[in-house]
Parts: sequence; C-alpha cells; structure tokens
Amino acid sequence: MILANLYNKVMGFFRQAEQEEVESAKDTACNRLRVVLMQDRTNLTPELMDRMRRELVELLSKYVEMDKEALDLSLEQDGEQVALMLSIPVIRAKDEEEIKAALEAEDAEKECDDIVEDVEEEQVSDDTDEIEADENSDDEVEIQENDDEETVEDEKKETDQ
Amino acid sequence: MSGRVIVITSGKGGVGKTTTNANIGTALAKTGKKVVMIDTDLGLRNLDLLLGLENRIVYTIVDVVEERCKLKQALVKDKKNPNLCLLAAAQTRDKTAVTEEQLKDICEKLQKDFDFILVDCPAGIEQGFQNAVAGASEAIVVTTPEMSAVRDADRIIGLLEAKEEIKSYKLLLNRVRPNLIKSNDMMSVDDVVEILSADLIGIIPEDTGIITSTNKGEPIVNDEKSLAGKAYNNVARRIIGEDVPFLDLEEPKGIVAKMKKFFSNLKGETK
Repeated sequence: MILANLYNKVMGFFRQAEQEEVESAKDTACNRLRVVLMQDRTNLTPELMDRMRRELVELLSKYVEMDKEALDLSLEQDGEQVALMLSIPVIRAKDEEEIKAALEAEDAEKECDDIVEDVEEEQVSDDTDEIEADENSDDEVEIQENDDEETVEDEKKETDQ
Repeated sequence: MSGRVIVITSGKGGVGKTTTNANIGTALAKTGKKVVMIDTDLGLRNLDLLLGLENRIVYTIVDVVEERCKLKQALVKDKKNPNLCLLAAAQTRDKTAVTEEQLKDICEKLQKDFDFILVDCPAGIEQGFQNAVAGASEAIVVTTPEMSAVRDADRIIGLLEAKEEIKSYKLLLNRVRPNLIKSNDMMSVDDVVEILSADLIGIIPEDTGIITSTNKGEPIVNDEKSLAGKAYNNVARRIIGEDVPFLDLEEPKGIVAKMKKFFSNLKGETK
C-alpha cells in the first residue's frame, strides 16, 4: 500500500514535469482568440478559408506535386499587418513537360470558359445568381456547355487527355 | 461650458458597464466636476440601483422625450454629492422609445450645464447601442480578460471606429485576477491590450467588495480601502487628464515584501 502510494507520488511528479510543456490556459485563449478575431475582422468564415485552400491547391498543383492534406493556410497578425500564411509540403517538383502540359490544359480551358461566358452573356446578362449557382456545381456548367456548343465540349475532351 | 460626452459600452453583457459608469461618475463628481449619467438601457435599467437612487426616480428619459416633463425635472440628484445627477431609463418601455436624434439632442442640452455626460449603453450592438453612441464623442470600452468579452469588445471597437462622431475610445479592463494571470490561467492585461491594440484607461481588479457595494447602493469609489475603488478613482483622474500610473495589483507575499511595498508607497506619496 505504502509502496503503491509512493509510486503514484513519484509518477505524479514526473507527470507534472511533463505537463509544463503543455500549452497553458492563457496561451490557448490567446491563440484561439487571435484566430477567431482574424475571421471576424476579415469576414473570412471557415468555409471561405476552406474554399480558398482548395482553390490554392488546384492552382499550385500545376507547378508542384504536394501533400494536399498537409497544406496549411492561416491568417496571422503581426502588429497592425494581417498576413496570410501558406505552408505547403512539396513532395516533388514537377518536371518541365508536366508543367507545360498542365498550363496548356489550363489555357485551353480558359478559351472554353470565354466561349461559354459569351454565350451566357447573350442569354442572361444580368442574372448573377445563376452564375454563382454554376460555380457551385460543375455538372451544371458542363450540361450547359453540351447544349450551347459542341466545339467547346470537343476542345475540352482534347485537353483532358 | 461644453461638457464631454462619454459612452460606456462593451458589447457583451455582465462585464461591468453599469458598475463602471456608477463608479467613474461618482469619482469624477468627487473631484468637483459636474457629472450627469444617462441610463439608456430602456426596459432593463440598473444604474439607479447601483447608486441607491431607485426610490427617488419620478421622471425618466422617456418622459423627457415625450414631453411629460422638462429635462431638468427628470435629473435625480445623488444622495451625497450634489455635483452628480442621474437621468434614469424607463423600465416599462423598450429600446425604440427613444431615437438617436432625441438622445443627441438631450446630450447637447446637458453639455451646457455639465462637465461630463456619461452614457450607460445597453449590451448588444442593436438599436440600443446605436442610440447610446449617437450623442457621444468619446467611448470607454469595458471588457474582462475572458475570450467572449474580448471578442465582443473587438466587435464594438470596429463599430466605434466606423463612427465619425467618436473621436477617441479607451479600453477598461475589468475583473482582473492577478493570481490567475500569474499562474498563466488567465489572459494578462498585456495580452488583451495587444490583441485589441487599444489604449488602456484602467485596470480594475476583481473585488468582492463590488457585491456588497451594489447591495448597499453605494459605489465602491467611496470606500477608501478598496483596491477596485482606488482603481476607479484613478480612471476618473486619467479622464480629467492627470498622468496616473496603473496600480500594482500583485499582492505582496510575506512580511518583508509587504514592508517593502509599504515603504515604497510612502516614498511615492511624499514625492
């Protein structure tokens, strides 16, 4: 019994020593507050941050192969200045040809978009809601492309391959 | 005479707006300034209770606005200090009973007769806040070293910065607990000031005396021994423009430290 008590006490001492490395309640509060205030001040909700993150992954994937899950995007404040911090673990740099192919694919896609936009402008010039809805579901856009112009669809197929 | 109109606001409820108002008002009046406090928390008035004036209220701000009485008739004089007056809120009405324009008008009229007009703002950022801020050119943002209070203070500061009429705002940190800060369990004064990046006008320690003073209807600034009372008196002196250092809230431990503190205080006073 006494021995067990002693053991617990000694272990307790070491545990305490370990705990000192754990973030204090005060630091937790400060860090959580900084993040939440940054969101409040910039009107960037977690959803929007997530979307920004996804878009960045898409953009940067053209140039480097990276760990998409580990990409970290956060807002930090340095005095008066708010900074957007992006940390990307790069797995492998893409070689010239891969980058070229990705960029060409994008250029082709842009051309498609231009054509689609022109068509859309003719159809509905002032309906922004619909365009927003399109952004949300890619399927819808593709269906429209099908209806609008066959050539667009063809071009897209080429680039996809 | 053109008095200064200061709104005391916080966003979050329960951080000590009304207590701050009652104490700063009383402390300013003690220095000989003429002070009027306006309670704009229509429907939830409490400033009268903290000052012990609840039985003396005949007319309220709504009576003034609806012209059932003259502005001067609605001002309730403090029991002890004739320099101090209260314009009470109506308890039976809601925030729509007085408009921004009407409050502005009342503040302008009071500026002629008083050095300070302290506006007690309701919690929240809705119409009640907009009304309270309407007539003011300065603001004191009350917060505590708690996350929710700091977050709401940040929101309020954002709203105040967007208002052209508000020329300056200061932060008052209430309910500070030095022992919790020392053990890293609570955000420190520096943490809060850094996060909100605002100028500080006062640090008020948590003080159980506030409860008894509220119960008695006697602001704690009248208690010479109370640390919170001293801190509020210092805030009043800073508002007037005096350069008063912030209180050392750390309780000295052991008899040697206490003696040291006693002598250093003596030295400070003789200087």
